[in-house]
Amino acid sequence: MASSASAVAIGGPARGTIPSSRSLGSGRSSCPRVVSLPVAARGGGGGGKAGALAVRAMAPAKYKGTRMREKRLAEMIEEKVREASEVCEGDARSDECKVAWDEVEEVSQAKADLRLRLEKQQDPLESFCEQNPETDECCVHFD
Amino acid sequence: MAVCTIHPTQSLNPACSSIASFHQKQGLFCTYGSRAIMAKRGGVIIQNHPPSPGVVICSAAGGSDTLVIGLAADSGCGKSTFMRRLTSVFGGAAEPPKGGNPDSNTLISDTTTVICLDDYHALDRTGRKENGVTALDPRANDFDLMYEQVKALKEGKAIDKPIYNHVTGLLDPPELIVPPKILVIEGLHPMFDPRVRELLDFSIYLDISNEVKFAWKIQRDMAERGHSLESIKASIEARKPDFDAYVDQQKQYADAVIEVLPTQLIPDDNEGKVLRVRLIMKEGVKYFKPVYLFDEGSTISWVPCGRKLTCSYPGIKFFYGPDTYFGHEVFVLEMDGQFDRLAELIYVESHLSNISTKFYGEITQQMLKYSDFPGSNDGTGLFQTIIGLKIRDLWEQIIATKTGAPLEAAKA
Repeated sequence: MASSASAVAIGGPARGTIPSSRSLGSGRSSCPRVVSLPVAARGGGGGGKAGALAVRAMAPAKYKGTRMREKRLAEMIEEKVREASEVCEGDARSDECKVAWDEVEEVSQAKADLRLRLEKQQDPLESFCEQNPETDECCVHFD
Repeated sequence: MAVCTIHPTQSLNPACSSIASFHQKQGLFCTYGSRAIMAKRGGVIIQNHPPSPGVVICSAAGGSDTLVIGLAADSGCGKSTFMRRLTSVFGGAAEPPKGGNPDSNTLISDTTTVICLDDYHALDRTGRKENGVTALDPRANDFDLMYEQVKALKEGKAIDKPIYNHVTGLLDPPELIVPPKILVIEGLHPMFDPRVRELLDFSIYLDISNEVKFAWKIQRDMAERGHSLESIKASIEARKPDFDAYVDQQKQYADAVIEVLPTQLIPDDNEGKVLRVRLIMKEGVKYFKPVYLFDEGSTISWVPCGRKLTCSYPGIKFFYGPDTYFGHEVFVLEMDGQFDRLAELIYVESHLSNISTKFYGEITQQMLKYSDFPGSNDGTGLFQTIIGLKIRDLWEQIIATKTGAPLEAAKA
């Protein structure tokens, strides 16, 4: 799985394949410096109240690969919720309907797990990027 | 007949220096250090951990020296809070394997390996869609492989376990898992297949009531752009039939059930913040003595807050008593409310019996260790910690039974 700057493979870094176009030893010079937007303030009291939107301060992902993954998971949640709503309009008790909502559950949990890991400063790409800092996925995000 | 020879390392704990060679069926344990050397027929596999002092366990093939714990719960593996409390009791923090697939679901600590049963999905996300089955459905899971591999680990053999990638929804190339001292298998179906059930030394079912599940999922998902109250509700309801049929029905097999319900202390509370937690413990399980309050076998209702101990609203209420659960005789210990202060926690701990602590205040210490985790101030944290201690106790009893005389000789 080769990775390119515009389409990072979701399945994680390209293990065992030659890193993309840049030569080894060019360091991180090809990682663009990105200014991050201010993180949303933490809403008071968490999300327990029905109807109140719980805004969490997102712990910043360290590596580009992880940021891409976060983004992709967020998109998938939106996509799959939409899909499930459509599929279930026909027959709310069909197999297709329950599978669709099961997928929503799966990606929601995956996103939550990732967020939890980042809060604990355990970026999933940490040990891979220690060994392969030149790969695109391992571009470090500078604030 | 397999023979295992160990070459002691320089930094050997003197108590283990008498280890030389083993005959099948004999296992010598030095419960110190963290490098496990496992025997496979004709060969030795050395666990790839960072070097650390001491030789630990040699398990001859044929001896079931790996303790296997099953934990059934909905939604995802790495029930991080429960796992962290559990593994912390045994020592060491459990982390994903370093240098492997970043999407691995496995957690490894010095003593414990936690395997996510989603790795035994027979169908990936596309496959499940095509066949119209949810992940909850047994048809989506390969129980033959699950049985084979858990059995192998229990017998001291390493395995190549598949990885189910929750991000891509695909099955990734396998990872090597070396038999640990304690193996925890967690997921949707640890007790579903009778053969796997037989392999479990202890099993736990985490039973979250619908109201609490809804409140927790709101907390989990409301910050996500795609979600709303309706979508969260719809997801829970759509999965419910499969959940009830395939997952919930396992609770009758569990040795311990942790039931999480809304509090009864606050009328009409629906926030899911104050919880009523029940620890349902099966009677007659080998090496497992249920926790009790004041007098074993009686029925006790206890409000610790009063003259000696002042608590803030809504306070704490305990209940203990015998009961039946799916036809089994059980004991139920129940806590409703929240701990506000350290003093309350230690006060409660001092009144519980059969808690398998090694020193006074061990439960309190464990709870304080993870005071930033959810559940640290209520029954979920308390009972998860207690279960961790009970499992440690179970394990030590099993080891004592197996090793008996040889261990005494080594100590001398």
